[in-house]
Amino acid sequence: MDLFEPTRQAFHLLLAGDPQLWRIIWLSLWVSVLAIALMAPPCIVFGFVLAKRQFAGQRAVVVLLQALLSFPTVVIGLVIYLLLSRRGPLGAFELLFTPWAIMIGYMVIALPILVVFTVSAVQGADPRVYETARSLGAQRPRAALTTLWEVRFAVMAGIVNAFGRVISEVGCALLVGGNIAGITRNIPTAIALETSKGEFAQGIALGFVLIAVAIGINVALAWLQGRGGLE
Amino acid sequence: MSAPLFSVEGLAKRFGERVLFDGARLELEAGSGYVLTGANGTGKTTLLRIVAGLEPSEEGRLAFRAQASLVSDYPEAWRREVVYVHQQPYLFGTTIEKNLEYGLARRGVPRSEREARVREALAWAGLTERREVPPHKLSDGERQRAALARAKVLDPTLLLLDEPTANLDGDARKQVLELVTALCIENHTVVVASHDPEIIRLAILNRLCVADRRIEADD
Repeated sequence: MDLFEPTRQAFHLLLAGDPQLWRIIWLSLWVSVLAIALMAPPCIVFGFVLAKRQFAGQRAVVVLLQALLSFPTVVIGLVIYLLLSRRGPLGAFELLFTPWAIMIGYMVIALPILVVFTVSAVQGADPRVYETARSLGAQRPRAALTTLWEVRFAVMAGIVNAFGRVISEVGCALLVGGNIAGITRNIPTAIALETSKGEFAQGIALGFVLIAVAIGINVALAWLQGRGGLE
Repeated sequence: MSAPLFSVEGLAKRFGERVLFDGARLELEAGSGYVLTGANGTGKTTLLRIVAGLEPSEEGRLAFRAQASLVSDYPEAWRREVVYVHQQPYLFGTTIEKNLEYGLARRGVPRSEREARVREALAWAGLTERREVPPHKLSDGERQRAALARAKVLDPTLLLLDEPTANLDGDARKQVLELVTALCIENHTVVVASHDPEIIRLAILNRLCVADRRIEADD
């Protein structure tokens, strides 16, 4: 199979500013970014509490969240589909086959990743961080923030991981979004569709975008780690 | 006789089967310095952490400036006046200057006053030239001095130092020793847990000894 010609066409589509292609890219980006932006704060707070507080069933909650990390996203999509479908409990909101449905799916997929990474980061933090903050007069929320700041790169790795997972996710987006051109078609669902039609150029172009996003985020993380004084 | 600045009554603390304190009591007079001695594992660090509100205990009553509290219900306001420095202090992953500002910011000290007090504390600890250096680039002695400066800048009513010269030798130990002595002289109420003979011999410090689950004056 000739890979050169579709790759050349892919670059042409990207550089020519093909509106259909860029609409797909834009949808993927904003839905993913918004899902992570909305989920990160509560998940990080929950992860901190889960790591620090002793309560009955704490271990079970962590094990459940860890299990959710490998939960098939298509099943998450199915559950959200049933909830949002016209006869479902949330059907009145008419969110199915809209970008908002995809975003809800992404939020559910991101939840265990964000929480588990935060739990791991906080449990791995030096216990003197929190104690030092408290002893210097910080109230509990401020001491928690200080601890999270000290392990920020591990927490950010969770955010990057969650973003990487949702922006490349197909099953859930396909089920609850419906892959409707111009409305809910995003990068992974478009790649799946174009490839099934034998239209490799657009698939390759979108693949390049996904790779560029992944590399860009990791370069940004590495740069921030450098600025943070880590060697 | 005036009431002590800080007192502990009926303190009980155990780690599993191991009983560290059983009905222990302690009184600290305002403006006095104390050195806390005792064999390893007798509970010196635990006692300082209980006084600082960092360690829970089964039983015990505390009183600070005649305000009483249970150990299990350490008042938040006391944290503004009681400062504990770990044996191996943790410095936040930022500059030394920002480390010193941290507690002042928590107390709502205005920025201009913060800067002046931090400058003064850095000079006191001989760290002015190192103010923008991150902690991982400091020596052990510099880290300990930075931690002492971070505590001193807050002008605490009660300062608790856990083995400040442990793990140090040579000039580093000597410099930290000078700072600890200066803190004790500066009318702070200071409790230093230490095995260091030079600290134990300091004439300005009252000697306390942790032994047999109690805290005794050690003359």
